[in-house]
Amino acid sequence: MADTLRDLAERCTRLLGPESVISDPVRLRTYECDGLTSHRASPGLVVLPETAEQIAAIVRACGEAGVPYVARGSGTGLSGGALPRTDGVLIVTARMRRILDIDIPNQRATVEPGVINLDVTRAARPHGYYFAPDPSSQQICSVGGNVAENSGGAHCLKYGFTAHHILACEIVTPDGEIAELSRDDPGFDLLGVFVGSEGTLGITTKITVRLTRLPETVRTLLAAFDTIGKGGDAVSAIIAAGVVPAAIEMMDALSIEAAEAAVACGYPEGAGAVLVVELDGPDATVEHQFAQVERLCREAGAFEIRVAADDTERALIWKGRKSAFAAMGRISPAYIVQDGVIPRTSLGEVLGRIDALSRESGVRVANVFHAGDGNLHPLVLFDDSVPGAQERAETVSGAILDLCVEHGGSITGEHGVGADKARYMPRMFSDDDLDTMQMVRCGFDPAGLCNPGKVFPTPRLCGEVPGVRKGPHPLVAEGKADLF
Amino acid sequence: MLPLDAFAKVCADVRPGEDADQVDGLTPPVVAAPATLDEASAVMRTAAEHGLAVVPSGTGSKLGYGRPVERCDVLVTTRNLDGIIKHSPGDLTLHVEAGLTFEALRETEADGWGQHLALRPPENGTIGGAIATDVAGPGRLLHGSARDLLIGITTVRADGTIARAGGKVVKNVAGYDLGKLYTGSLGTLGLIVDATFRMHPAARAVRVAVVTDDPGRAVQAVLHSQVVPRAIEIDRPAGSDETTVAVEAETETPDETSARLHELLGGTPAPEPDWWNRLPEGEVLAEIRSLPARLPEIIKAVKDLPLRGSAGAGRLYTTPDYTTPDGVEELREALKPIGARVVLVRAPLAVRKSVDVWGPLPTLPIMRRVKDQFDPDHRLSPGRFAEGV
Amino acid sequence: MTRPDELPEPPEPGTETVPEVPSAVSMDDLLSDCVHCGFCLPTCPTYVLWGEEMDSPRGRIHLMQQHREGAPLGDAMVRHFDACLGCMACVTACPSGVQYDKLIEVTRAEVEAEHPRTWTERAVRGAIFSLFPYPRRLRALRGPLRAYQRSGVPALVRRSGILERLSPTLAAMERLAPPSQKAPSLPERVAARGGRRATVGMLTGCVQREFFPGVNAATARVLAMEGCDVLIPKRQGCCGALSLHSGRAGEARAFARRTVETFEGVDVIVVNSAGCGSAMKEYETLLADDPAWAARARALAEKTRDLAEFLVELGPRAERHPLPVTVAYHDACHLAHAQGVRSQPRALLAGIPELTVKEIADPEVCCGSAGTYNLLQPVAAAELGDRKAANVAATRADLLVAANPGCSLQIAQALERQGAPLPVAHTAQVLDASLRGHPAATLLAR
Repeated sequence: MADTLRDLAERCTRLLGPESVISDPVRLRTYECDGLTSHRASPGLVVLPETAEQIAAIVRACGEAGVPYVARGSGTGLSGGALPRTDGVLIVTARMRRILDIDIPNQRATVEPGVINLDVTRAARPHGYYFAPDPSSQQICSVGGNVAENSGGAHCLKYGFTAHHILACEIVTPDGEIAELSRDDPGFDLLGVFVGSEGTLGITTKITVRLTRLPETVRTLLAAFDTIGKGGDAVSAIIAAGVVPAAIEMMDALSIEAAEAAVACGYPEGAGAVLVVELDGPDATVEHQFAQVERLCREAGAFEIRVAADDTERALIWKGRKSAFAAMGRISPAYIVQDGVIPRTSLGEVLGRIDALSRESGVRVANVFHAGDGNLHPLVLFDDSVPGAQERAETVSGAILDLCVEHGGSITGEHGVGADKARYMPRMFSDDDLDTMQMVRCGFDPAGLCNPGKVFPTPRLCGEVPGVRKGPHPLVAEGKADLF
Repeated sequence: MLPLDAFAKVCADVRPGEDADQVDGLTPPVVAAPATLDEASAVMRTAAEHGLAVVPSGTGSKLGYGRPVERCDVLVTTRNLDGIIKHSPGDLTLHVEAGLTFEALRETEADGWGQHLALRPPENGTIGGAIATDVAGPGRLLHGSARDLLIGITTVRADGTIARAGGKVVKNVAGYDLGKLYTGSLGTLGLIVDATFRMHPAARAVRVAVVTDDPGRAVQAVLHSQVVPRAIEIDRPAGSDETTVAVEAETETPDETSARLHELLGGTPAPEPDWWNRLPEGEVLAEIRSLPARLPEIIKAVKDLPLRGSAGAGRLYTTPDYTTPDGVEELREALKPIGARVVLVRAPLAVRKSVDVWGPLPTLPIMRRVKDQFDPDHRLSPGRFAEGV
Repeated sequence: MTRPDELPEPPEPGTETVPEVPSAVSMDDLLSDCVHCGFCLPTCPTYVLWGEEMDSPRGRIHLMQQHREGAPLGDAMVRHFDACLGCMACVTACPSGVQYDKLIEVTRAEVEAEHPRTWTERAVRGAIFSLFPYPRRLRALRGPLRAYQRSGVPALVRRSGILERLSPTLAAMERLAPPSQKAPSLPERVAARGGRRATVGMLTGCVQREFFPGVNAATARVLAMEGCDVLIPKRQGCCGALSLHSGRAGEARAFARRTVETFEGVDVIVVNSAGCGSAMKEYETLLADDPAWAARARALAEKTRDLAEFLVELGPRAERHPLPVTVAYHDACHLAHAQGVRSQPRALLAGIPELTVKEIADPEVCCGSAGTYNLLQPVAAAELGDRKAANVAATRADLLVAANPGCSLQIAQALERQGAPLPVAHTAQVLDASLRGHPAATLLAR
């Protein structure tokens, strides 16, 4: 294998030039993980192409050599989707960062995959537009990564996910061809299935995104409740009233404590839960609905409501919420950020069960979540200097996912499956479901070289006759793959 | 054993096909109407065992889409799978069987749900049909089509395997989004059995129409305004210099919004359009897919044809009166410089047999390979889509 | 005997031990603060240039970790540490509070102590550090440089290959400094106008003093007009900023001790050069392990203020005369990121009637000057300078305002290269013009 990689390195150097190929072990190791540091693998080779043609050539070279490859943008993913292969090539799109076109009359922009999410908005804002998907890493995550992960964000309750904002993608297919997938293509929606496929169906090289009109008005309030249950009631009441806020975020007492310690956001004292509700849109509609939301929060038992009077006050309200993850360091040496989804109406019930789990296990769990769409981000706290603490935390973290599935939810709302949660997929999907998904993969990537080992717990041999699998998978039987 | 008997063993509602069941002039020997997921799976498995070609169908309203099918041994209709499985108002989700008709859904919604599925196909049909043909109605501008509202799907593959993807929650990125793959699949990948959708509150809305000689400007004015239009539709009779532009917007202040829209649109106020969300009448119906800013060029390029549809979303319909199969190609040629695509939606059998329904399909190689995985024997709606799919 | 404004030669690099990270924090703890989120990447100038992980703060922290775990400080690793500008934009961007400033400082010292450098590298560094921190030597160069410029005969360059690297910068300084202007020697004390509100010490700096004497004069006048008695000790030398930010900790400490001694008598020390101010605020850390100096260093750090920071704390009193001019305000890294001073200079400028302040796009990204960076990494520095210059030019301002001599030089040079020269001024000079009622033309005439 070492020889194969050396040959590939030489070939890539001829293709891209020495400045775009990294083969030195010390440098390679800096690419060993993305935003999820618990999974690490130093790549066999890193390449930094600048054109689709270069990526196509690299992919063809990998195909000919039978070497797996993984695409990476800014390396901020939280599920290990860009975890490299020690025996493979990491294709980094960070140098493909040109905004190619801003087309306001047609409300779209075309960008290269390494363009940073927020830079699209920065480029569109002078025209009164923005790129709606706003994952909390938007200041650094790449649009290519957003496409791979179908990224969400605080505002996807109203505006949807990346998939709703991608109009076309130019991709390099695993057979090294450049193809354009468009929403306007007749036939099955290949673009739709490509977005969110976590880099397993090809590599995006050019993306046309929808631009959204900046809202006329944005209004934000913070409501404090003495219990999280009352906060949940307020969320239900708002949705039941037919209001779809741009965002509804909730934090529990423990996460408020951490945020206060980190950024002194000054949330109301004694709050068991705070709710951040943001409405945007035409002036009159927002005014009308904002009054409704204020009333509903009060009726649900909010003991204090703060309305942001200007951008500074809005920033202050968001500061606590936005700092919540990083702030956990203030109250715990280590923590796991979980990402699960439940039907919004099960919020109270599931939070109660998480609380019980926490008490039984002695593992503290802080809750920060996108309450509007039931996307929980439980933060499972542990002290990594205590032997066994991490394992206990992981058990609790896994049990929370079980709760989500049990209540008809999902094991991931926005972070993706990646390398981290492939083992949980069978809790949510049957073998047949997974097999069917992998048939798509076989259609795109029969050799299984494109980001292998992600999303699915066991690879599917693409030549295999579709149908019910009898006995263990051949790869499992041979000890080459593992179910968990 | 006769196939009919084999089907009757696994499905209660099975009968021989009649003339009325004809698909593209072919009378299916078997018509199966499974009432449960298990029956649907068994029907598909039985067809597989006998190597029979299957055409999935709902009410049959869209069986004329695409190219004519080459074989139709079994017509599998979802008309017995027509229930609402669960409406969860608090979660803004709706789980329905694929055979539910929009007519039935609208009736139920009107019964105080205060929410609606933001899909309004122009003709009645089933949920499954709307997914398979990717029809949406004027709301496509704001809410997209089935693929944008679908959050979970259950299908039966060609071999009878039941496959689910997505889930019951709005936010979910676990696994491939097969719901999107089935959108626009025209019955070539599997049988859609049930689907879960994201719902939207039934907001107050206004509709405003004007007649103008500058629809391009009017559409752009609304598109870039703060009104947040749900739909921008146009209607331009053949040869006319005047176009009616109609806009629908959700609002809490209808009078104010109407006034604002009139200000933006200019032109002369027109009465409530009776053509709203109605396909133009004609034997041949073609869809023009393009960018919204190209509207003036399209209007000019097809001056002699009627034009109607979602100008804001870049989907327009026209009804060319073809006497020769070359007509579609002529239309394509005329629109090529504008970058617009032409897809034939509806046409007499003879026309569909002889013309290229789809136009260029750059991703056909990938579609073929996906098709080969899902339906290796090419038994699902064979011939309906492009060559090899 | 040492001359008043010079110091004993610093110890040879490499002979001093690597500084320990002070107090209870260990290097391991500092490293483990990084959760690998990547928020630092878009603000890092070298990541912006090259898009490589190893040339981002996150990647460099990863390299430090590797070194910690036993990987040697090889050429590959050192190249990426050297490429860091030390602009500290990443410190501002980090949501987890990673103290990259401390990490890179320790790492640079390790590099200086452990990594053998090539002859050229050593020579260039040697030249820089025996020249810039010494105002008298800088002054001695001015004559020959002017001759070099006038004649176009690169006599100096022929004599010394090393100066080839330094001469463009020195020449730029020379061009920017008003040619006829003899450094006006400031008195040791400037009395407050009107009622006295404070007594402050003033640091005159090295490059500032020799090449931008007008900035120091303006600073002293503004302070006096705002009611401050200004003390300007004659014996002050280099504050040690250049050495500190280049891993020459021993040298930096020597300069720091001297500066502490010089200013112990005053309540507040006002600094008009961002790099110097940030270094002085770091004295506490620098001398933490020296029992004889730790407390004195802390005291000095606590009373160090950037000019803008101090003026805003003090509040305006003197009358502002209108100055009808549009300025682009540039955030010096050592002011914005290292000292957190962003709003104050903007507030001071905005307080001048008829003056318009324009924001420069990507304000958090360094201009490439970064202390000695433009001397040691000229190619990268020039690219960053070009980017910054383009953003400055896009503001269509009449005047560039920056609070660090290095930045002013770097951006002015880049603007000249692009054929769009723009006058530069220090915040102090703009305030001075307004307070004295001078016309805007005096600022634009440079």
